[in-house]
Amino acid sequence: MRKIIAGILAMVMLLSLCSFAVAEQEPITVTVFRGDPGDQPTEDNKIYKMIEDQFGIKFEIEFLAGDLDETLGTKIAGEDYPDLFDGGNSAEKLINAGALINLLDYISEEKTPNLYNHIKDLLPQLVNENGELFIIPNYGINYHEQVVNACNGPAFFIQKQVLAWDNYPQIKTLDQYFDLIERFITANPTDENGAKYEGFAILCEDWRHFCLINPVQHLMGQPNEGEVYINRTADENGIHKVETFIDKDYSKAYYKKLNEFFKKGFINPDTFTMTYDQYIAKLSAGTVLGMFDQTWDFGTATAALETAGMHKNTYVALPLVYDEAYGFGTISEQYLNGGVPNKDRGFGISVNCEYPERMVQLFEALLSDEWQKILQWGIEGEDYYVENGRMLMTQEQYSIRNDAAWKMANQALTIWESAPKKQGIQDDGNTWAPGDQPEILQLNMSDYDKAFLAAYGYGKWADFFNAPCELAPWGEAWQIDKAPIQDDYDKFNLIQDQQLPKIIMSADDAAFDANWDAFVAEITPYCEIYANFMQAEVTKLVELATK
Amino acid sequence: MVFSERGIPMTGAAYKIEPMQPAKKKSIWKTLWDQKWLMVMSIPVLLYVLLFNYYPLWGWRYAFQNLDLSTIKKGADWIGLDNFKWLFNEKYFWLGIRNTLAMSVINLIFGTLASILLAILLNEVRNRTFKRTVQTVTYLPHFLSMVIVVGMAQNMFVSDGPINQMLLSLKLIDQPVWWLGEGKYFWFLVGLINIWKEVGWNSIIYISTMTSIDPTLYEAAAIDGAGRFQRILHVTLPGIKSTFVVLLIMNIGHLMEAGFEIQYLLGNKQVYDFSQTIDVFVLEYGIQNNKYGRAIAAGMFKSVVGIILLFAANFVAKKLDEDTLL
Amino acid sequence: MTAVQINKKAKKPMQQDKVFPIINGIILCILMFITLYPVINTVAISFNDGIDAVRGGIGLWPRKFSTEAYGTLLNDPLTWNAFGISVARTVITTLTNLLFTSMLAFALSRKEYIFGKFITLVVVLTMYVNAGLIPNYLLIQRTLKLGKTFWVYIIPTMFSCFNMIVIRTYINGLPEALAESARIDGANDMRIFWQIIFPLCTPVLATVALFVAVGSWNQWFDTQLYNGGKKYLHTLQYLLKMKLATSMNTANAANASVDALASQAASKTTPITIRCAITVVSALPILVVYPFLQRYFVTGMVLGGVKG
Repeated sequence: MRKIIAGILAMVMLLSLCSFAVAEQEPITVTVFRGDPGDQPTEDNKIYKMIEDQFGIKFEIEFLAGDLDETLGTKIAGEDYPDLFDGGNSAEKLINAGALINLLDYISEEKTPNLYNHIKDLLPQLVNENGELFIIPNYGINYHEQVVNACNGPAFFIQKQVLAWDNYPQIKTLDQYFDLIERFITANPTDENGAKYEGFAILCEDWRHFCLINPVQHLMGQPNEGEVYINRTADENGIHKVETFIDKDYSKAYYKKLNEFFKKGFINPDTFTMTYDQYIAKLSAGTVLGMFDQTWDFGTATAALETAGMHKNTYVALPLVYDEAYGFGTISEQYLNGGVPNKDRGFGISVNCEYPERMVQLFEALLSDEWQKILQWGIEGEDYYVENGRMLMTQEQYSIRNDAAWKMANQALTIWESAPKKQGIQDDGNTWAPGDQPEILQLNMSDYDKAFLAAYGYGKWADFFNAPCELAPWGEAWQIDKAPIQDDYDKFNLIQDQQLPKIIMSADDAAFDANWDAFVAEITPYCEIYANFMQAEVTKLVELATK
Repeated sequence: MVFSERGIPMTGAAYKIEPMQPAKKKSIWKTLWDQKWLMVMSIPVLLYVLLFNYYPLWGWRYAFQNLDLSTIKKGADWIGLDNFKWLFNEKYFWLGIRNTLAMSVINLIFGTLASILLAILLNEVRNRTFKRTVQTVTYLPHFLSMVIVVGMAQNMFVSDGPINQMLLSLKLIDQPVWWLGEGKYFWFLVGLINIWKEVGWNSIIYISTMTSIDPTLYEAAAIDGAGRFQRILHVTLPGIKSTFVVLLIMNIGHLMEAGFEIQYLLGNKQVYDFSQTIDVFVLEYGIQNNKYGRAIAAGMFKSVVGIILLFAANFVAKKLDEDTLL
Repeated sequence: MTAVQINKKAKKPMQQDKVFPIINGIILCILMFITLYPVINTVAISFNDGIDAVRGGIGLWPRKFSTEAYGTLLNDPLTWNAFGISVARTVITTLTNLLFTSMLAFALSRKEYIFGKFITLVVVLTMYVNAGLIPNYLLIQRTLKLGKTFWVYIIPTMFSCFNMIVIRTYINGLPEALAESARIDGANDMRIFWQIIFPLCTPVLATVALFVAVGSWNQWFDTQLYNGGKKYLHTLQYLLKMKLATSMNTANAANASVDALASQAASKTTPITIRCAITVVSALPILVVYPFLQRYFVTGMVLGGVKG
């Protein structure tokens, strides 16, 4: 009897000891909001299972279903915050509303070396004026070097068949571009099925209006700063001059060109009213010869064309500039920019979170090389194999990664996408992203594309472009939060959206000039407010970065 | 069956047996006791409504505060009528009201006429299978999401789309009309799409009302030699009149609500001055940019106008001796 | 209009009786065609290959048949959980709403009810006075703490003023004699309501039930506001809304890795097909239920109660 009691006592003690030992890692469920739509992972998801086993953390994820700003608007009003809060493209609202905790209180070289080393060089750029950091960028922090295989950002696009038809010419300027399209369309007014070609399309829907309002800065030789032109060389006071470009004469020249092209009938007026869906449908039908856009914006159309075997109707990105005849000097193109840390995008830890310390430790652990490989490549032997030190995938291993159901069961997508991550090159020379690995890229390129690149003597699509420039101290100016001048900024955009199409559709030169002058008169006050605001912000960022 | 001189059954208020005991003579307590079951049936709902519909009105105080992102945590300050001043100085607030009223009126008039017409046509169908088929088919578009409906409409109305091709071949126009880009067509397009989508669904209420018309009335009218049109005119229409009047008053109070989904989807910046409704305005200028005070002020204004319209419509109906809402 | 006047026009109507049904039939057939075309088109697209559908031009039949869109929707166990939640909320809301709404409608239809005018005013005004999204959200989320519970689907939607008025108008149209004769027999208001008025209201109750059920079934906004973070409380409509949002998602600008682009290349579903499949799936249950309700409001009311 005594023995039994002693045994029981011993067991109880043992149990209590055990529970004491794991007290620090007691299983918790963490609520997560992600400001992007997504699919729930399966219950037995491979990677989430590993995270749960190792860290005792389960996730309950809410994805964005409706409008982001509306959703954040209500959550902020109710102070109804999840533990991990990714506010998507409006995350600065969470910061402004005081919904997130300052991460720098938890990050240090001793306690969190991975995170510390991840951000230490960029810290001056990332913190706010009070020296606080609320969100660690989810993308754009490259190790060793930035991998640039193609232009994924803004460019003028043209169907490959147009270049092939003219025997693969070098198209460098705006005039060459429109001239080539015009010659092609005059020689081939319709495609093989009799559908009429459209020379140039301009998507204007909602925030995608960058296709309408952004091109001029690139024609002037600047990477994407949004709606401002920034002088890359500082003046004697160390100030980088910031100006809005849409109201300047160097913009007028571009819209004048579009107006001429419109009058020739190569731009369809419906382009100004079409929705994103209709735009994608048109591109996918292969009847639009050119447009200004960003590569990621029409991925669905590219996919549709590839799948239908219409390789000649897919697009090449071209870095166009004004030629000297415009009188804006000799301009050299600079479309590609250095790796841009995605400032204020990704997970923040909300003030309602009960375990901030543990969350930071989780991100710290996930940023280790072992976990980064698991998150990005998967499990060796299952999802990839290693040959002579190179991480490789078979065709099947690579293509199954695109299967939605497979992803939900075998990748921890939400956590991977919103948490800090390593990009660029690993210490052993493999790339961090499987899709950047040259062997894997080659495996997936069509024969048409291989021949096309060979005709130009290029190895990759990025060879059409100059190498990326060094990132300016202010990052990319479009990332600057416009909340303080929201009302004026909205008006600034609205006027452009309303007037620029009218200008492009002007019936004759007199009407064009009249429309342009009216536009400039209407927008100038807002340009001033915007430019002044951006000037102050850029100057502040430059000062912070050089401190 | 008792008939009025207009040939419809005397119903409700018009035809009433005198109360057994005139109310005046009863004491108030007796009346209350007599009506205890009516109270049991209505008071809980009243309390429910007070909690869910009136209690939140306390939130209207924010209309007088500068509640936004920067003040949400530390508490907003009273700013008097500044939010209203901002609203009244904002061009798009007024355009929003104009567009809302315009689209509501178009919807109300043509939408109601179309659904009554459909209900009447259906009511005249004797073949039951055909009737059910038509009804089932016509209410289907109600279930199509606006995204799909607007997408199809856009494909119909693009410059080189079927509508323009048809009009061109009929020589009604000599060059394509830019339906989707000209503001002046926008209200008309919204009206058309709304009717197409909802006519079947909205006719359900009239069809169900028509079933309450005593069939003997039609028989009596037929015996008297009334043809189809006379029967429609003298039996069917009077039979749905009170439903019509009540819905009309109700909808007049709702003139400030023209929805926002269709305008959001069909609109573009070229027709912005005609597509902006008050609801879109509240969403874009209030909630999406976290200017809660302004959003609530605009909503408050909308409610007040709605109530004024409601009372006006109710008053007119009372003068005309029709069924009223209140 | 008197009988004498009708008799004057007695000859012409005979012709009308023959021609009218034919014209009527033709009009309704044209209407059906205009209505059906887009509906069938939607079904056709939903059964089409996603990437192919992006290119447009699909008419009444799929060009490249595929059930991928439905597969994506129906293969998820959460879909079926959500289906259960949707059915539960629709049934419970419809029953509670019908009960509360028709009870109040009856009480307010009694002209002698002394609080009638006041309650009518208070209730009708709620259709026009809306505190707005934020105050309502604060009430339910913070004051009543209904967020993250199933009851948030039921409690805020137990009563509808619009439907109350529809029912009240209908009850006002019923012969008063019915209630009166019952009262003389000594029935109280509750019994009059349950045993006489309620059964007579079948057509209008069927209509209202349809309105409430469809409204509740189609609701997704309350899930987004209150239960977005609770995946086992998601409703079907919310799930479908999520799928729609996901399939419309394009890679983020900064996320522009080749990986992200390739993943779009291989997914066989696209926003267009998913959207159409969603429409079909979400409309289907109502289409199944509708014929049962339809019976009530197309057969006509039996007035036996009064005549007898």
